[in-house]
Formats: sequence, C-alpha cells, structure tokens
Amino acid sequence: MNGVSAKMGSFFSGPRTGLLVVLCLLLLLFIFGVAVSDRFATTRNILNVYEQSTGLALVSLGQTLTVLTGGIDLSVGSVISVTAMMVSGLINGDPSMVTPVIAGALVLGLLIGAANGGIVILTGVHPLIVTLGTGAVIQGAALLYSLGPIGKVPKGFDYFAYGRLPGGLSIGATFTVILFLLAAFLLGRTRMGRYIYAVGDDPHAATLMGLPKTRVILLVYTLSGMFAALTGIYLVSRFGVGQPYTGANYTLSSITPVVVGGTMLAGGRGGVMGTLLGVYLVSLLNNLLNFLDVSTHIQLVAQGLVIIAAVSVYVEKRRIA
Amino acid sequence: MAIAKANEIANASAGGAAAGMRLSDIGRKYGIFLFLIVAILTATIAAPAFLSPANISNMLMQLAPLAIVVIGQTFVILVRGLDLSVASVMATAAVIATSFHGQDSDAPAILATCIVMGGATGLANGILVTKRNVSPFLATLATMIVLQGLRFAATQGAPSGNVPPLYRLLGSSTVFGVPYNLLVMAVLAIVFGILLHRAAFGRRVYITGGNPVTARLVGMSADRIIVACYVICGVLAASAGLILSGFVGVVDNFVGRGFELDSIVAAVMGGVALSGGRGTIPGALAGATILVVLSNAVVMVGMPVQLQIIVKGIVIIVAASLYVRTAR
Repeated sequence: MNGVSAKMGSFFSGPRTGLLVVLCLLLLLFIFGVAVSDRFATTRNILNVYEQSTGLALVSLGQTLTVLTGGIDLSVGSVISVTAMMVSGLINGDPSMVTPVIAGALVLGLLIGAANGGIVILTGVHPLIVTLGTGAVIQGAALLYSLGPIGKVPKGFDYFAYGRLPGGLSIGATFTVILFLLAAFLLGRTRMGRYIYAVGDDPHAATLMGLPKTRVILLVYTLSGMFAALTGIYLVSRFGVGQPYTGANYTLSSITPVVVGGTMLAGGRGGVMGTLLGVYLVSLLNNLLNFLDVSTHIQLVAQGLVIIAAVSVYVEKRRIA
Repeated sequence: MAIAKANEIANASAGGAAAGMRLSDIGRKYGIFLFLIVAILTATIAAPAFLSPANISNMLMQLAPLAIVVIGQTFVILVRGLDLSVASVMATAAVIATSFHGQDSDAPAILATCIVMGGATGLANGILVTKRNVSPFLATLATMIVLQGLRFAATQGAPSGNVPPLYRLLGSSTVFGVPYNLLVMAVLAIVFGILLHRAAFGRRVYITGGNPVTARLVGMSADRIIVACYVICGVLAASAGLILSGFVGVVDNFVGRGFELDSIVAAVMGGVALSGGRGTIPGALAGATILVVLSNAVVMVGMPVQLQIIVKGIVIIVAASLYVRTAR
C-alpha cells in the first residue's frame, strides 16, 4: 500500500492489478465460450447479457462504495423489495403517478441509506450488524404493506429494462454504465473520493488527519440506498410488478462482483470499474452455463468457486497483525 | 431451565475472573441476563399465556437448534471470524438424514457422515481464512454457495425420504415436559462451555482473538486455533441440522434458512464482540433465548407476524450499541 496517491493514478481509480485480473478472467471465459458454443459469441447474445446485467450492476455499484470504506450494506435486498412494492403499488397503472412515485422511491432509498450511515456513526456498531438490523425492519415493513405481489405499472414502464438504443444497446444497462463512470470520476478525481479510500484504508488515521469521516460514511450509505432503490425500480420495469421478496437474493449476490472485481472487504482498495467487470463476469458465466445446459444447481457451485478463486488471487489486507 | 444452567456457568466463570472487575464489566457481563428477565416479564404481563407450560416447552424446543449453532458461532466470532455457511451446513445435514433408509439402524452412519461433512466445511473455511487470508465473510459465503449447489445437484432440487425415528424423537418429543433436543443442547453447551472457559484450548482461543500478535509471540499457532474454531462451528451446525430435521420431519433444501444471521445476531446480542476476544457461551445462549422469546412474544401478544422481524431488527441494533457503549 503506497498510500492514497498511488491509488489515484488511474482514472478508473482501482488498483490496476485488480482490473487486470478480472479482465483476464473475462477474456478466458469468453474464449472458452467461443470454443464450446457457436451461439455464445453472437452479437445478439452478448447484447442480451449486457441488458440482463443491469440490476446486479446497479446494486453492486452502491455496495462497492460501502465496502471501500471498510463497511458493508446488508439492507440492499430489503430496500430493493420495499421500493419495488412501493413503485408498483402506488402507481397502480396510473401513468400520471409515474414521475412522483419514482422520485418518492429514490428519496426513500436515500433516506434509508442516510439512516444506515447515521446509525453506524452514532452507535459505533459494525455496519454488518446495523444494516442487518435495518434490513430486517425494512423487510418487515414491506411485508406489512403487502404479503404478495402488489399493484401494476402502465404500458411503457418496461422501457427502462427492455428499451434499446439504435444499435441494440440496452437503455438501462447503458444508463448504468454512465453511473459507473460518474462514480469512477467521484472516486478517482475528487477530494471526496480520496477521503473514501482514506477512511477505508485506516479509519483511525483518517480521524487523526481530521478527515470528514461522518460525511464520508453518510455519503456512501446514502448512495448505496439510492442505487438499491434504483434497482427496485428497474426490477418493476423488468417484471411489471413489485413483490415482498424480489430483492432478497441481491443482498449477498451484490457482494460477489465487488470482491471478484478486486475491491477488498477490509476497505481502502479497489474501485467501481472492477465491480462492473465483475458483474459482466458473473452474468457471462451464468449465460455460458445456460448454453452448456448445466443445471442451475451446478451454476451455484460455479459461482461459489469463482468467488474462492478470485479472492484467493487477491491478497486481502492482513486482518491479523 | 436452560437459563438457570447458563447462569450457573456464568457465575462460575465470573468467579474465576472476579478480581478487580469494574462496574462497566459487570454491566457487560450481566446486562444481557437482566434484559432477558425484563423481556420475559414484559411478555408475561402483556400475554399471561406466555408462561404457560405448553408455551415454555414450545419455546425451548425452538431454542435448542439455534442455541447449538450459536455455540459454534461464538467460537468463530471469538477469533475475529464469522460463519455464514452454518445454515447451508444445517440443510445439508438434514438432507443427509433423509438419504439413508429412514431407520434407526442408520442413525450412527448419518451422524458420522454429518460430522465429517460439517467438519470438512469448517476445515475449508478455516484454511481459506488462515492460509489464503480471505476475509471470513467471503470464505464462508463461498462455501455456503458451493454446499448449496452440491446439495441441490444431489437432490435434484427435491429431497425426499424419511428421517429415522430416533432423530424424530430427539427433535420433537419431550420427557417430563423437557424437550429432548434441549437436553442435547445442554450437554453440548456444558462440554463446549468447559472447553472454552475451563480448558487450555479456551484460553488460546481468547488470546488469539484478543491479540493475534501476542498469540504468535507466546509461541502459539494462531492459525491452528482459528481452523479448530471453524471446525467446531461446522460440526455443531451439522448437529443442529440433524436435530432440526427431527423437529421438522420433512426435509427441504432450506432447513435452517435464516440461522446464519440469527446465530450471529444472538451471539452479538449476548455480548460476543465481532472484533474478537470478548464474550462467553452463557451470554451467547442468553442472546439466543432473547431472540426466541421476542419472536414468540410478538405472536402471543397478538401483533401481526410481520412485526417479528421488525422487532428483531430494532433489538439487534439497540443491543449491539449498548455493548459498544460499555466497551468504551
């Protein structure tokens, strides 16, 4: 660790090694895919994988920011579920409600995120426990709202998930890539970005240096909450309805791309572009396994092994001495 | 009854370290038991049926599997780890329990297979954490997913078969109103309580978790202690899975779902610090009891079931923040 400045060298703000590792893995996977299936490397298929990666990419973006500060956000799954239910439940087929409800859902995500950050700062409890607790509260609230799928959305609401730009690029996925570039700019080119790395690298030193730790923590959890809300909106756009458990699986799966992309759970190292490649790696892997007619059960095993392989390549910052 | 036993062990271990104990230490050590008593009293006042023998027996039967997992989780958290794979291990043990012929003659073979499976998972976790320096969260997340996939592949998503009558008896019957599974839990709690609070191994666990550098300086192999803790946790989770399969009777792929987070929450509420080196088994068991009492009380008082998880979430944060305060 050569300090903060070394990490700022690249626009993509991650250590280049992390990006290289995940790029190589992606390339290997692609070559393997081309070798075993002639339908895999078609433009159509690749564009589909790009489109389907949107949800995971959105939630992992926020997760990356919390992990960079040495924290974690285990409430994202519940936030996704509750915003998805709110969006389809309140819009309930009325086109005039779309804009205010979407704005409301984003604000809700922001507020929940700010509450997470605030509780972490005020109590000093580990974010893992805090977000586990708030996640439970939000999930309970979602279930109080409705025990099953609720509401519907007007025609055209699926534009975010299924709309295509000229050339066939998915609108949602491209919007997500732009968000990643903005986050990379925040991390690599702004003072706040440097603070995020500094707090994650050594919170004690960050405090001694007088860095605005409170603002950093509040910012990353607020953003994480907002991206989770955006994921909820995306899922309604994709499936047409919000359900109380629609986001449940995203809590833990949002962590896989983060660590596969080279961001250390201990904090202070990594970056969002690695996460984006990690998302593509996971999506491409699942897509390829589908082509190979591998059962979804074995897909799970493969995903677990990818995590083990990836984290064994990166050496985590020593937790012990 | 379990609580009385837990208190006994707590008193015994407190007696050993009583010299020069400060008020805040006492608060941290016994606050959880006070909280438990208050929770039970409140629930009783709000719903008198809460303390009926049938309900108590019911709660104790729910407590046993969770408590067994919490004991293992405590060992792992004490050495600065955490184990997300316990629920997956439990479900795998339950699937193993139904994979034989469903007769009592299979019971020893099932037990042996489960212990090997749980121990091997713990070993994999421990090696990833110590030798590859993977964070415990990720290492155990990965083994959790792999185990889940293997289980699904083996059962084709739909496990079938019967749990041997012996496990049914252990998991769901009572003797003089005391659930058998609680007796199993009590035996395990005493054995592992002695191992942690009275044996040399336990002192090594606390030294390793409290300060790994010291552990290395005094010539201990911190890595070996850490691996041992993950193995203990895996084996206990497998045992809990067997007990739970006997309680449920029919097995699906998700027996034990939620136990990974509940067990961590129970341990943390019971004063086991995620930063390692602090906490006791009696405390963790009290934490598990509080979780069961709260979930039960919400229903007994007549509140909507959804409030269970809301209450749980709030209590997690409040309890954890109290420990941070006393630790300062």
